Amino acid sequence: MKRSLAVGTAAVGLLALTLGACSSGGGGGTSSSASSGGGGGTSSSAAGAAGSCTNKIVKPGAKQVTVWAWYGAFEQVVDLFNKSHNDVQICWSNAGQGKQEYTKFSIAVEAGTGAPDVVMLETDTLSSFTIRKALVDLSKYGAADVKKNYYDRVWKDVSSGDAVYAIPVDGGPMGMFYRKDLFDKAGITTPPTTWDEFAVDAQKMRDSGSKALFTDFPTNGGAYLQALFAQKGSAPYTYTASNATDVSIKLNDQGSKDVMKYWQGLVNKGLVGTDDTFTTDYNTKVVDGSYAVCLTAAWGSGYLSGLSGTDPTAVWKAAPIPQWSASSPVQINWGGSTLAVTSQAKDKTAAATVAKEVFGTEAAWKIGIEKGAMFPLWKPILESSYFTDLAYPFFGGQKINQDVFLKAAQGYKGFTWSPFQNFAYDKLTEEANAAVVQKTKSTDDAIDSLQKAVVDYAKSQGFTVK
Amino acid sequence: MTNPTVTGAHAALPVGERTPRAVVALNPRVGHDRRRQRFGWAFVAPFAVVFAVFLIAPLGYAFWLSLQTKTLAAGTHFSGLGNYKQAFSDPLFLQGVWLVARFALILIPLQMLVSLIAALVLDNLTTRLSRFARLAIFVPYAVPAVIGALMWGFLYSPRFGPLKSLFGLFGADAPFLLSPQNVFGGLINVVTWQWAGYYMIIIYAALRGIDPSIYEAARIDGAKGWQIATRIKVPMISSALILILVFALIGTLQFFTEPQVLRPVAAGSINASYTPNIYAFTLAFSYSQFNYASAISFALGAVVFFGSYAFLFLTRKKNGLS
Amino acid sequence: MAALLVDETTHEAPRQNGRGGSTRQRQPWSHVLLIILAAYFLIPLWWLVVASTKDINGLFTGAHGPMWFDAHFNLVTNIKQLSTQNGGLYWRWLGNSFLYAFTAGVGATVLAVLAGYGFAKYKFRGRNLFFAMLLGSVMVPLTALVIPTFVLLARFHLTNTIWAVILPSLLNPFGVYLMRVYAQDAVPDEMLDAARIDGAGEVRTFFSVALPLLKPALVTVLLLSVVGTWNNYFLPLAVLSDTKLLPITVGLGAWQAQSTSAAAGSQLWNLVVTGSLISIIPLIISFLVLQRYWQSGLSLGSLK
Repeated sequence: MKRSLAVGTAAVGLLALTLGACSSGGGGGTSSSASSGGGGGTSSSAAGAAGSCTNKIVKPGAKQVTVWAWYGAFEQVVDLFNKSHNDVQICWSNAGQGKQEYTKFSIAVEAGTGAPDVVMLETDTLSSFTIRKALVDLSKYGAADVKKNYYDRVWKDVSSGDAVYAIPVDGGPMGMFYRKDLFDKAGITTPPTTWDEFAVDAQKMRDSGSKALFTDFPTNGGAYLQALFAQKGSAPYTYTASNATDVSIKLNDQGSKDVMKYWQGLVNKGLVGTDDTFTTDYNTKVVDGSYAVCLTAAWGSGYLSGLSGTDPTAVWKAAPIPQWSASSPVQINWGGSTLAVTSQAKDKTAAATVAKEVFGTEAAWKIGIEKGAMFPLWKPILESSYFTDLAYPFFGGQKINQDVFLKAAQGYKGFTWSPFQNFAYDKLTEEANAAVVQKTKSTDDAIDSLQKAVVDYAKSQGFTVK
Repeated sequence: MTNPTVTGAHAALPVGERTPRAVVALNPRVGHDRRRQRFGWAFVAPFAVVFAVFLIAPLGYAFWLSLQTKTLAAGTHFSGLGNYKQAFSDPLFLQGVWLVARFALILIPLQMLVSLIAALVLDNLTTRLSRFARLAIFVPYAVPAVIGALMWGFLYSPRFGPLKSLFGLFGADAPFLLSPQNVFGGLINVVTWQWAGYYMIIIYAALRGIDPSIYEAARIDGAKGWQIATRIKVPMISSALILILVFALIGTLQFFTEPQVLRPVAAGSINASYTPNIYAFTLAFSYSQFNYASAISFALGAVVFFGSYAFLFLTRKKNGLS
Repeated sequence: MAALLVDETTHEAPRQNGRGGSTRQRQPWSHVLLIILAAYFLIPLWWLVVASTKDINGLFTGAHGPMWFDAHFNLVTNIKQLSTQNGGLYWRWLGNSFLYAFTAGVGATVLAVLAGYGFAKYKFRGRNLFFAMLLGSVMVPLTALVIPTFVLLARFHLTNTIWAVILPSLLNPFGVYLMRVYAQDAVPDEMLDAARIDGAGEVRTFFSVALPLLKPALVTVLLLSVVGTWNNYFLPLAVLSDTKLLPITVGLGAWQAQSTSAAAGSQLWNLVVTGSLISIIPLIISFLVLQRYWQSGLSLGSLK
């Protein structure tokens, strides 16, 4: 009886293998087929431990550089690069989004093997990896060649003194997307330009009998909350990779406290919601009319237009983010990513070439902008009339870059992150939730607890906290 | 039936000739038996090899990691049991232990009861309904936790779940089962749903191994259905039951998957240190504190060790492990 | 199906309920209980079935709520989309899961049966120590083992290959425990001795005497090993980075993460839901196939 079981199982296993082989070979489309190095097992070619590529290698003799990135429509950008370079080919795979990729990268760094040559890292995670010596200083590999293509402050965010740890790719200048149809119904003729007006308009919307909440205040917002704090002057960290053991922490500045109190006021009046962001609940509420305003970054246009459950009668428009002071506006940024070369890269020059050049052409950027809704930091396209005049169909043809985001990007002064940002985010979520959602402490206490927790943590990790 | 505690050497001799040790030692057949006993290693060897390579070796390395401290700013240095001292005084760890202990106290009896009753009922019936029910109870176990969490995320959603309409019938507001107050119960439901079938299958298979002629004898003596169940069936599978209970205890104290995958939809209720295992995971993969994470894992292991051995000791007569 | 019915009823005939001597099984309370249990366990799956027939907008703004179908039946379209997304990657994932689950499942069962039998029926030196180590080893959560396992696999250049998932999955300590308990109870020493006296070697005794008696236990362990490996999420997540090698759990998890993220054009909810439904089907079939083996363990009565 066991024999027939064994035979049956073997048959199933064989079926599975054929199934797998069939779908990879006959799958069609643009993304099938393994690299020339060989199927699903280890590839003995220069692709190394990162395995086979999702894209096609067109020049099999060239050096292969493995890249982990999750940009939308990245495969087309990779194909462009591979076609135009004879000596270097990109072997790309999507190792997960955000935290998933960082977990894998973290394991590889700790184990000393398994990391790709080039890795996509959001700007706020760079310090966490430079402190583990996981990234290569690109100033030795010709980073200066491309420096002129980026704003100084953008370049500063990826550098530490003279060392450059990543090449900037895209940014997240913040603005405000609002439902013009809901505004009209509530009698709001122009979108608010200051936070005071914002509160007044929120009340107006409620008074008009609208079922919509004005916007959402997500306590798990992480970098989003940090950006809102920054708008009122918060600059919590002083840290450079060259002086890796010193850090100064000032999270409980008056600006952060003021912002928290402002939003708590709106929550208590029932004018804004407290849904966690990026959940299925939130993803539908934001487009179906439960919220009238979405405060987000430039990449939010792609996010919104890709969501399902959209109210078909919606009219979305973009406007600059409200300011605390109309006379001295402060521009802020949420998100944005870079490409860094890892210290496990075998051929660092080739890897650096990839990082510098993959998003270094107009053609590549047109794909990124139109298919991936990315906001470029590469000056040649950022300042081009193509980008300035780009009309976004989701916003009824509005030229949102011209109206909102170019100014936001130009005005952004940069931000310094800590090397223990995950811990800081987790604590911020806990404290904000305790204060605003569970109402077990005041917002001031929450911010002070946050400061204490992060300082204690930094000290326990051997930092000299100033 | 053969008493499992009787040694192989004795069993080789005919009943009635159970000889004292000194005589046994001189008996040539015993040498043969000793050699035969060593055959046991041959059977265990394949497993032992994989065990040594993929469990013992990594455990050893993990333990060695836990004896060192690596801070983000400074380097690595040997700290002996320093991490453990820190772990056992870490309020986040201790709170987590208290949570999983409470969880175990409530979840395990509930789950076992459901599984046991289901298995007993199924053992008794052979109707099509019983076969269908057997499949129905098993299927949740076949659903991976990741997908189960997705489902429960939707089902618990105040917006998309059926609770809203269900409670709406009574004119009440649906409770959010993942709120900080309700998340404990919400998780108990998810875990019971997911794992009851697993335990039911094991109990059921054990029940299938019982000779039905025993029931005949009992019925002739006038025993009723539920008496047969409680006085005969349950005691006869007690070793399997205790085994399951121990592993359920171990699994519950190491509670990780369900709360971790539900975290994105319950960010306020399930934080980074909700259970000790989640805390270890966060330390390792979010904060890059691998050494302390290792120590927390072993500290949790120590807690589990005491818990399970205490349980095994209390049930030592019935657990069938001699 | 009919054959199964006949098989069962002839076996089941002596096993009557305790009430009276009736051969028909009139147990209304048992049936009510089973219906309640079945409903509890099936309702979320019903949601999954219904959700798989909706398109992505219907999932969120369905006409009749979450538990009933929409006007538009989208299942076929969903399945077609599964085959085109990322070039049919979903089917590749499914094939991977088959490969991992059945290879590791069968392998783990073989190891567990042998080891459980060895522990149960032989008193070799170091037995109790080794068994205690076995129990002790599962007490440390696997979280601690991820990095060491990764380093170990990396040393042999096995990371990001199928062996990275299969080899560690061959370990099923619970299976060994189960087999030991079952073997102790279900395989009488007298039968083993009888075979030995007849001149059979240990291996022959195992295959001809013990193994047939262990069938229901073996099948149980096989089922649990296959399902356990099929559902394993964290191990493949940690050791695989090539999307072509992912099992279905990690693959669907990745699509789910993508759908809740902020990246443009990334909503794949209908695929996640339909994909989840399809991925459960092989396990249900395995269960149905294997459950027949539970019936035939009765013949050689073990516990007296």
